[in-house]
Amino acid sequence: MLRDYDPGPFFDEMFTPDRVPRPHYAKIYEELAGMSVNQFEERRQLADLSFLLQGITFTVYSDGRGTERLFPFDLAPRILPRPEWDHIERGLCQRVFALNLFLQDVYGPQRILKDRKIPRSLVYSCQHFRREMIGLQPPSGIHTHISGIDLVRDSKTGDYLVLEDNVRTPSGISYVLENRAVMTRTFAHAFHSHEVLPIGHYPTELCQILRSLSPRGVRNPVIVLLTPGIYNSAYFEHSFLAQQMGIELVEGRDLVVDCDIVYMKTIRGLTRVDVIYRRIDDEYLDPLAFRSDSVLGVPGVMGAYRAGNVALANAVGNGVADDKAVYAYVPEFIRYYLGEEPILRNVETYLCSEPHQLAYVLEHLPELVVKAVGESGGYGMLIGPAADSAAIADFRDRLRASPRNYIAQPVIGLSRVPSYDAPTKRLAGRHVDFRPYCLFNGEKVTIVPGGLTRVAMQPGSLVVNSSQGGGSKDTWVLKGTV
Amino acid sequence: MMLSRIADSLFWIARYMERAEDTARILDVNYHMLLEQSAKTYRLRWDPLVAIVGEQERFPEFYKEATAQNVFEFLAFNSDNPNSIVQCIGHVRENSRTIRDRISREMWEDVNGLYHRVSRFRPAEEIAVGPHRFCNSIKFASHRFHGVSDDTLPRDEGWHFLQAGRALERAEMTARIVDVEYQKLYEGLAAGSQPDNHQWMAVLQSVAAYEIYRREYHSRIEPERVAELLILHPQHPRSIRFSIATLQQSLRAISGSGADSYANEAERLAGKLHETLMYDRIEEIFARGLHAFLVDLQKTCRAIGEHIARTYFYYAVVE
Repeated sequence: MLRDYDPGPFFDEMFTPDRVPRPHYAKIYEELAGMSVNQFEERRQLADLSFLLQGITFTVYSDGRGTERLFPFDLAPRILPRPEWDHIERGLCQRVFALNLFLQDVYGPQRILKDRKIPRSLVYSCQHFRREMIGLQPPSGIHTHISGIDLVRDSKTGDYLVLEDNVRTPSGISYVLENRAVMTRTFAHAFHSHEVLPIGHYPTELCQILRSLSPRGVRNPVIVLLTPGIYNSAYFEHSFLAQQMGIELVEGRDLVVDCDIVYMKTIRGLTRVDVIYRRIDDEYLDPLAFRSDSVLGVPGVMGAYRAGNVALANAVGNGVADDKAVYAYVPEFIRYYLGEEPILRNVETYLCSEPHQLAYVLEHLPELVVKAVGESGGYGMLIGPAADSAAIADFRDRLRASPRNYIAQPVIGLSRVPSYDAPTKRLAGRHVDFRPYCLFNGEKVTIVPGGLTRVAMQPGSLVVNSSQGGGSKDTWVLKGTV
Repeated sequence: MMLSRIADSLFWIARYMERAEDTARILDVNYHMLLEQSAKTYRLRWDPLVAIVGEQERFPEFYKEATAQNVFEFLAFNSDNPNSIVQCIGHVRENSRTIRDRISREMWEDVNGLYHRVSRFRPAEEIAVGPHRFCNSIKFASHRFHGVSDDTLPRDEGWHFLQAGRALERAEMTARIVDVEYQKLYEGLAAGSQPDNHQWMAVLQSVAAYEIYRREYHSRIEPERVAELLILHPQHPRSIRFSIATLQQSLRAISGSGADSYANEAERLAGKLHETLMYDRIEEIFARGLHAFLVDLQKTCRAIGEHIARTYFYYAVVE
């Protein structure tokens, strides 16, 4: 499967530039190199069938009748040696602490604004900044219960960089857990010959945090996961997590608020709800507080939250911390709140709201990646080197019209991992990123070892988002040194 | 504590699964029985099959004639017929998807696999080979569904809502089968003659009662005995009496009410109907008129369904 494999000019996770397998990939290299196309195909079909049967699919409505597609899963794992992971873990813990302190501050005393470490106008102009949160102390001071922080490895230096923070409703953990389950079945031998750190305790850890948020001192608080419903692309994940944690999966219509108390409608009448793990965006959460046309939310839930009668995870208003322009200031947050130097660096970022930086960006558009600050999922993006002159002209106009809405970054040559290329039936280098999931209980950050490795399935592509045709891989963190 | 929406979904999952199975049984048996008949001695009539599933108004919107092919296509595959077998399986799957965190993994994978299997059937191909292959697979899929749920679900309210949904749907379907078959067999006959054995055999087979009939009555097949078996038999799992008894047990298990009381209108109606089915003789029912009896019974079934929904599923908006 690996004959004639070309690591190319990029950092290859499996091979050194001289095409020698790195020590932590040695065993999986042997396994894959000794495998015939038929053997590999057989396992691939087994894995696909397993995803199909479990309904781990998303729906494409382009053909008018709704076709279900599988999220592409690539069988060749991504492997991290322990020291590399330890470094990442330390960096992420630091970052989560800083982000949470920033949120406490920005919706509280606003020291950082008074000390002019970040422009007030930048914070207040964030699309996801919520005035309703000012002065509201969430239980235990936790805003970022769950964060998914996207990392990339820069081919030039081999260093991990933070590409973006996701502290609203990050998704993807179910694929991490399901990928592992499928991998242990289809690649049992290879899996057992490695000492891979387990990740199965994620739901237990999350559930413990949710329980600890309960405003009532009862032994069994009622915890629910609030989903927008089956038409949401992450619905599988919502039901998966609810089932794994043994909590109720509810839709907005299952809940009702009376006198600032949230109840769910059961066959025995109304039952009080203590904690809501909500997977609905702020805008749709409460039609009385935010978008009044939302039918997904729960009218009055913000009132109950403000009264301290129900806990929400994540907190409302977190979007101000993962705004792509605010992102540029996170290293500053780490210095300001923790008095430490950032362990994981940011990708160099140009803020188009700053006139001299905008001038640079406008001059260098063909070399840069431009991103809309409020968007996610790979939408609203310009990849300069791949864009034609019309697209570049279009972005030039947009940048001039609303500079605050854009940032620009140099193109990062993402590292690559051997991945199956169906047309040629062999493994070829494909670009990847990495999203670990961080849980914060107010005192410490817990990160299950691993995360979601997203892979751009098209040759040469740098876009890993599932909405743009990306796939995923199982990610192994090895115990001990190799 | 069970969410009302989940109870509602479980109830309807069972109803749709039963509807798919019953439709498959009716199609399978009648199709082959009708094809065996010679057109000279008996006028081939397919439209009663449409009446059994209660779709006599929708059918003419799509087809000019009730031919074998049209009826099979309509009842099994038509995507504009919300009660076609394929659509029923789709409803089962959609409902399961919204509550997949509350059913067992085995149930979900079974239902999801069934949905994908059914979607792969090609209507033209199945019509060409006849309905047996398709119908038989649906019949066993339904058995499997209940086998899997019985073996993997805890016996809590959720399981009882499944039982209640299946029992109510089955009682109504059996009532319609008996009602329509009686009318068809008598109307299609020349005065004074009796419908032959084969047609009654088909009726019995469609509700898996042929062997039981033979063992119980040892006689040639008589219409009154067939009706007695399908309506009043205490042990045959597809008889109306048995279904209503199951329904009553499940409703009591949900509310926790004792054997000599009822907690809501659905339980009261189910209990009352069960009494009638326990103590009435088939001769009395015929004397009062079988058709009227069955029409009333279906009305009661619908009322029970409405009261279950009002008691457990719906929350009135109070301003």
